Amino acid sequence: MSTRSSMRAILLAALMTLVGCVEHRVGPARTADDYDRKARTTASAAISAVETVRFLAELSSAGDSLATFTSVSVSEQEDALAAIRSDFESIQPPGSPSDEVRSQLVGLLDAAVEHVATVRIAARRGQLGELADIGAPLAGDSAALNSFLQALS
Amino acid sequence: MKKVLGIALGVLSAIGGFVDIGDLVANSATGARFDLNLAWVVPFGVIGIIIYAEMSGRVAALCQRPVFDLVRERLGPRFGAGNLVASFFINLLTLTAEIAGVAIAVSLLTSVNYVLLIPFAAVLVWVVCWRLPFNIMEQVFGLMGMALLVFVVAVWKIGPDWGDLASKATHPTVPNGETPFTYAYYAIALFGAAMTPYEVFFFSSGAVEDRWSAADLGENKANVFIGFPLGGVLSLAIMVCASLVLAPRAIDVAQLSQVPLPVASAVGRVGLAFAILGIFAATFGAALETSLSSGYVVAQYLGWPWGKYHPPTRASRFHVVVLASIVVAVLIGLTGVDPVKVTEYSIVLSAAALPLTYFPILVIANDRRYVQDHTNGRFLNAVATLYLIVLVLVAVATIPLMIITKGGA
Repeated sequence: MSTRSSMRAILLAALMTLVGCVEHRVGPARTADDYDRKARTTASAAISAVETVRFLAELSSAGDSLATFTSVSVSEQEDALAAIRSDFESIQPPGSPSDEVRSQLVGLLDAAVEHVATVRIAARRGQLGELADIGAPLAGDSAALNSFLQALS
Repeated sequence: MKKVLGIALGVLSAIGGFVDIGDLVANSATGARFDLNLAWVVPFGVIGIIIYAEMSGRVAALCQRPVFDLVRERLGPRFGAGNLVASFFINLLTLTAEIAGVAIAVSLLTSVNYVLLIPFAAVLVWVVCWRLPFNIMEQVFGLMGMALLVFVVAVWKIGPDWGDLASKATHPTVPNGETPFTYAYYAIALFGAAMTPYEVFFFSSGAVEDRWSAADLGENKANVFIGFPLGGVLSLAIMVCASLVLAPRAIDVAQLSQVPLPVASAVGRVGLAFAILGIFAATFGAALETSLSSGYVVAQYLGWPWGKYHPPTRASRFHVVVLASIVVAVLIGLTGVDPVKVTEYSIVLSAAALPLTYFPILVIANDRRYVQDHTNGRFLNAVATLYLIVLVLVAVATIPLMIITKGGA
């Protein structure tokens, strides 16, 4: 392989890598199984974000976290959860059986985003000692997402 | 006494400087997702970097010439050119991730959006590169990185069942819900995090900058044989923290801010502050190393004067490359690319590109024209050759695994 060909191959790999690092919409789902798989991935990612915020709320109420750290981290998880919801909503359901899956999961994600936003607002207002109570609904969101996951498995 | 202190300082700097954003993300993410089923990769990677760095440091000390200069001479300009382009690109990705890591660490304490802080972090990196003497730069951030020992404290405070931990670490399996492909992909990511090429470019160029000679081979050995394994202990502590605290909560590490959560839980606010300081120091130190490495690889390949030991007017092209690399890294960071994803790709591609620089160093470390009587012994050659085979297999498998697993999804 000539030097020029090697350079081209490396530059192409570089471009593909950089494109891969950019946030992108989830690919299409052609079958119901495909759609269910994406729904499960979405639910798992959402559980991670919700549990992170719950954990932050508990740490904050226990006095084990720093105010700015809590505020920034909760905001990050809120952005992540919103992106997870947006990505899933953009996937076209392949058929009407998948519509029910979509409706269920989007409903759960909407609730989770709302409850995480409540925690974020409280954190930024300095209500750090009460965050665990304010974030209590997140336990229900996490449980609901887990039940959804188990039902789909 | 002065020599002993110098060695001690070098060892401590090696421990604190071992961990960068790749190790933080890779160890935490694998601990949270795979428990301790990938713990074996850390000591395997540490042994690899010890061999790699020891050979590079020895070659640099005895030849007074660093890696890229010798690679081009020994294996020809074509091989060197391909090597240069691949290494420079991966270095640039890593630099982007490290500067973003610095910005994220500062944002966790200031509430300012990290994207806004990227240019400031980059300016600070460049100013330190430009103004601070080489050895001071190495030692200050290496020592500050010791703040990451708080992860070891966290493990101790959590008080796990050590027997259970040892059993999980020594009996690895592919966990339920994962495939052998994702397991292999994350093993490569961890391996790449431990054996980053930029560390070796920096280490060998630093040996020339510090004017090492045959008399310093002992210090070289102390740094790598004591410093790196202890740095590996830090990496394992990060993984264990994630497996004990994040995994039971089904938390996957997708943001850098999730990495110190176990420390906050076990050690409290003071521990969290130390962890964030350690993250800042680790990423800042690595940003310095990667930006200088960008200059080193280009200048050494093209035969330009290079290094901080030259007055800037003499090594102007080297400094221009360093500055240009930082600017490009900032521009990439400002596009909003996910720093954790950039980190994952950089460490995986590092693992894939390792044979390009590892093989030439292995050849030169056995060549008496370069290292006189200090060639590799039989045992070292046997182990080093085994690692070369592993590196080639990793290089072949990386891209297909990246495609099959969709980047580890």
